[in-house]
Amino acid sequence: MNENEIQLKVQALVDGELTGREAEELLSRLESDAGLKALHTRLTVVRGLMADAELPRRLPESGDFHWSQISKAIEREERQAKHMARPASGANWLRRWVLPLAGIACLVLVLSLQQTTMPDLEILLSSDHELELSIEDIDVMTFNTGDDNMSVVWLDYSIDLQQDGIDLWLD
Amino acid sequence: MIKAGKPSTKHRVVINFSLSNLISRFTFLVALLVFVGGGFVVAQADPITVQARLVLGTSTEQKGKTEVSNAIRKRLAKVFKWMKYYELRSRRMGIVDGATKTAKLSKTTKIEVSNQKNGRIAVSLFSEGKMLVQKNQLLKPGSCMVLAGGSGTDSAWFIVLSKDK
Repeated sequence: MNENEIQLKVQALVDGELTGREAEELLSRLESDAGLKALHTRLTVVRGLMADAELPRRLPESGDFHWSQISKAIEREERQAKHMARPASGANWLRRWVLPLAGIACLVLVLSLQQTTMPDLEILLSSDHELELSIEDIDVMTFNTGDDNMSVVWLDYSIDLQQDGIDLWLD
Repeated sequence: MIKAGKPSTKHRVVINFSLSNLISRFTFLVALLVFVGGGFVVAQADPITVQARLVLGTSTEQKGKTEVSNAIRKRLAKVFKWMKYYELRSRRMGIVDGATKTAKLSKTTKIEVSNQKNGRIAVSLFSEGKMLVQKNQLLKPGSCMVLAGGSGTDSAWFIVLSKDK
């Protein structure tokens, strides 16, 4: 056993960490070794000073408090996990379906109000006529003016406006 | 025993009165029938007069062209964006009941107008030999039927049909 190990044994003896047999053997050695005895004395004095100087401090919370906080945090996380996995409650259903539907209804209402407030072009869609379109490729629109004095058939079609030569001569 | 008696004067007078009354009533009825029937026949035989105008609507003024009447310009400008309307051609057609008349409005465009009685007319528009559209409607005097379409980006063509009063 080297010197360092013996010093550590002396420190353990001062701290009361040695078993009875080890302690007896070391105490007998201390009697014969003046250096070790001086070390033992010095460590014992230092230990006594430290023990006297140390102020007693109480924890603001009991030791169980920290464990209780940890357990509470774990429980909270478990609750949140369960909440996420749980099917939608009534409030969630409301948030998921009723609110978007209400938004769409509001949008439709706004659009319909805009349509009713559109400028009046004094145009009527008349049903008192028969319209036959021979060429399906032509887009056609028909309406009556508000006073019903003019019916219009608008064709997406360009006609030749040039006058016939014979007609020109006759005119 | 049967005795012959003189007929009652009073009774004969009544019969005479009834006969003359019947004759006068019959005469009146015949006269009424002739008058109404004759008038009806005259009314049926009276043709309608439809005027068809080919009009160019444009935003720019075009010299040498005749502008449409103020009434037509106002009607068209109230609905369409163009402010200048020029009458390119005008045709007037007298059409009896059930008859159809054709009017050529341009080199390749013509219309067929049928008098379908009771104020209804049917108008067919032909371009380059093909019928584009046929419209059948009641056309009152003072109102008009317009067949129209785009003719380039800044102009449009109109066929304005009206019935004379």
